[in-house]
Amino acid sequence: MQKENLWQSVLAQIQLEISDASFNTWFKNTKISEIERGRVTISVPNTFVRDWLSNKYHKKILKGLRNIDPGIKEVGYTINSSSNSSSVKTRNSESKKENEKAVDNQMEFQELSIDHNTGLNPKYTFDNFVVGPFNELAHAAGFAVGKNPGSLYNPLFIYSKTGLGKTHLLQAVGNKVKKEIKGKRVFYIQAQKFISEIISSIRNNKMEEFKYRYKDVDILIIDDIQFLSGKEKTQEEFFHTFNELYEKNKQIILSSDRPPKSISSLTDRLRSRFEGGMIADIDYPDTETRAAILKTKAQEKDLTLSDDVCYYIAENIQRSIRELEGVLNKLIIQQQTKDTVINLNEAKKVLKNINQTSSTSFSFNKILKTVANFYEINEKDIMSSSRKKEVVKSRQILIYLLREELNYSYPYIGKKVGGKDHTTIIHSFSKIKKEIQKNEEIKEELSYIKESLMSV
Amino acid sequence: MKLTVLQNKLKEGLSIIGKATAKSSTLPILKNILIRTEDNFLNLSATDLEIGIKWWTLVKVDEEGSTTIPYNSFSSFINLLPTEQIDLNVNNNNLSVECEDYKTQINGIDPDDFPIIPQVEEVNKITINSRILCEGLLQIIDVPSLSKVKPEISGILFSYNNNELKLVATDSYRLAEKRISLKEDKKDEFSFIIPQRTAREVINILKDLNKEVEIVFGENQVLLRVKMEEFNHSYIEITSKVIEGNYPDYEKIIPDNLKTQIVLNKEDFLNKIKAASVFTSKINEINLSISPEKGEVVIESSNTDLGNYEAKLKGRSEGEETKISFNYRFIVDGLSNIKSSEVIFELNDENSPGILKPVGKNDFLYVVMPVKN
Repeated sequence: MQKENLWQSVLAQIQLEISDASFNTWFKNTKISEIERGRVTISVPNTFVRDWLSNKYHKKILKGLRNIDPGIKEVGYTINSSSNSSSVKTRNSESKKENEKAVDNQMEFQELSIDHNTGLNPKYTFDNFVVGPFNELAHAAGFAVGKNPGSLYNPLFIYSKTGLGKTHLLQAVGNKVKKEIKGKRVFYIQAQKFISEIISSIRNNKMEEFKYRYKDVDILIIDDIQFLSGKEKTQEEFFHTFNELYEKNKQIILSSDRPPKSISSLTDRLRSRFEGGMIADIDYPDTETRAAILKTKAQEKDLTLSDDVCYYIAENIQRSIRELEGVLNKLIIQQQTKDTVINLNEAKKVLKNINQTSSTSFSFNKILKTVANFYEINEKDIMSSSRKKEVVKSRQILIYLLREELNYSYPYIGKKVGGKDHTTIIHSFSKIKKEIQKNEEIKEELSYIKESLMSV
Repeated sequence: MKLTVLQNKLKEGLSIIGKATAKSSTLPILKNILIRTEDNFLNLSATDLEIGIKWWTLVKVDEEGSTTIPYNSFSSFINLLPTEQIDLNVNNNNLSVECEDYKTQINGIDPDDFPIIPQVEEVNKITINSRILCEGLLQIIDVPSLSKVKPEISGILFSYNNNELKLVATDSYRLAEKRISLKEDKKDEFSFIIPQRTAREVINILKDLNKEVEIVFGENQVLLRVKMEEFNHSYIEITSKVIEGNYPDYEKIIPDNLKTQIVLNKEDFLNKIKAASVFTSKINEINLSISPEKGEVVIESSNTDLGNYEAKLKGRSEGEETKISFNYRFIVDGLSNIKSSEVIFELNDENSPGILKPVGKNDFLYVVMPVKN
């Protein structure tokens, strides 16, 4: 007979013999955890129940069990607090409430949400990872590795600019393995932390302990591996760890802000190891995906975003997902302090504040320099009246940016770019504006220029 | 059962065990207390199946016995009696109480149905003065998170290592750590988490005692025991479940090498923060700008409807200039639990936690996360 059935019939018997109140108090959340050679172990939620059952109801329980299975000789009790299924339920409903509260700006200790043994943050999963054309490949590779660690792509190397979801993807793989494949040891660490661990191990003569820690890992995930650049001793240690794990078919997952070949001062043997598995990059998300991401994040934080607000933000914040989140947080505060649902106008106001602060940070000279650098044209040529094709194009891009980013007036732009008439400026501006609609290449170039404007 | 006890003794015992009775429960007997004789002692016990409290006093026992009676009625009645001798008499589980001109009978329930308060099998034990323990607990008792999402941090961590007991509490926004050095001579290292409620009861019961408390830590349970002065016999025993799970590796949260430090007069700082709180918006935000060069901190807050506030406070400061925002409540909580007249306030940058600690004593620290600006 099944353990559950056996216990159920014992409980049915006992229920007739004692009061409802006692039955509910003492037999709630109890079950048979083990039957071995005539010995039945009953798991109970706490010490009170254990002592009570073994002192007061022991005979009844033993009799009940023996009525059904005369082979049972002994009954033991063990405390299992996780058998408390009802409290797990309330935990879920409360975590929802908790989320609502977490919307405000108060920062939390990140360390507390991190799993002790794996270094993973359980909030990063595949369920809340938004997939679009920009990250399809990386997602597919990560998902496959999460299903079959160690056998498919090893190492898996993910690279992208900051704030596009590398860490989320890496941790999602780790969390998937932890949840779905029992007994696998997952370990996630930031490269900076890995480095400081190595340094302190060397200093304290605890290198053996350090090596031991990584010996039994089944899936090693190291984030921001580019920080190894120039740290030779660390690279050497990492090389050994890498080899040892790799030879035992243990999965290694790495991330970086650039492909292995662009990480400077990385020893060749490490570089070739990094390139030996699967390399996937995450690009900038397109507008639709950005909108989808916004929706998901808004939902997580219980904020209602209308479609027009969502698209407006998605169209105007292009640089990174992290920045989208920043805007979202601002909207949430707005909603909290004013107690109204965010409409398009309010969203515009919030965005304007953000854009203003960023636009003041770059000047005419900076834009000029960046454009000239990007098209590899002399700054003087752009300001001249040269009609060369490349020069004209870069001049038009410059004019477009001055108008868009700095909000200069047409005549003022004319004066700035070498005394052009304001009608020429209007023509250039609207030409580029039209081009963007249909020409992917220009659009991409512009986004690169904007990106480098931001980053410098 | 037949015994004689003094009214004020009985009253004291009832007030000590009362908190452990269940206020509402599926099991009616949990609203009762167990009264019984143990050799020459009267023993009162109460439990709600999470916490159990026992109390003993020396009495004149004429006949052994026991019963359980409803706590509320019994204790209200005893409180109204004169401070004279009371005769307690149990017959058929019913308790008769006689004192001067009063004579009552209270209906009881069979003591065999009263839950057994678990014995704690000793794994580790420390001894500490009750007042020192309670003062330490008081400094951090309001910090733990009330949420059940992370049960580990809903309690208070007791961590013993090298003759030092650390009491730690956090709600993931702030963290308080109290260090108490003990006279023990033990190399052991151990830790356990007790529920916040247990800590509150411990404070209520033990804070005015000024006696040695034994903290016995077993598996799943913790026992706090105070002995009688005259005999080697328990006087009060508080048994509680401990919270399962590992307390987060909290020491990682405490930042070191902070870039900015300022030493301030605690009362002035507290008052200026409280004044700033009048002008905060819904998110309770106050802005602090610390200038080591000028040796001052500027406290600002504003509310679109009401107006804005600015106050300056001089202090000894070194390091880099910095600006940061906090929820004023968290700062007020931290400052209120610091005993010295001056506080050290240390910061890194606007996104990293700040530390408040007393000047002169290295036994308390309060780490608090800022508000995003």
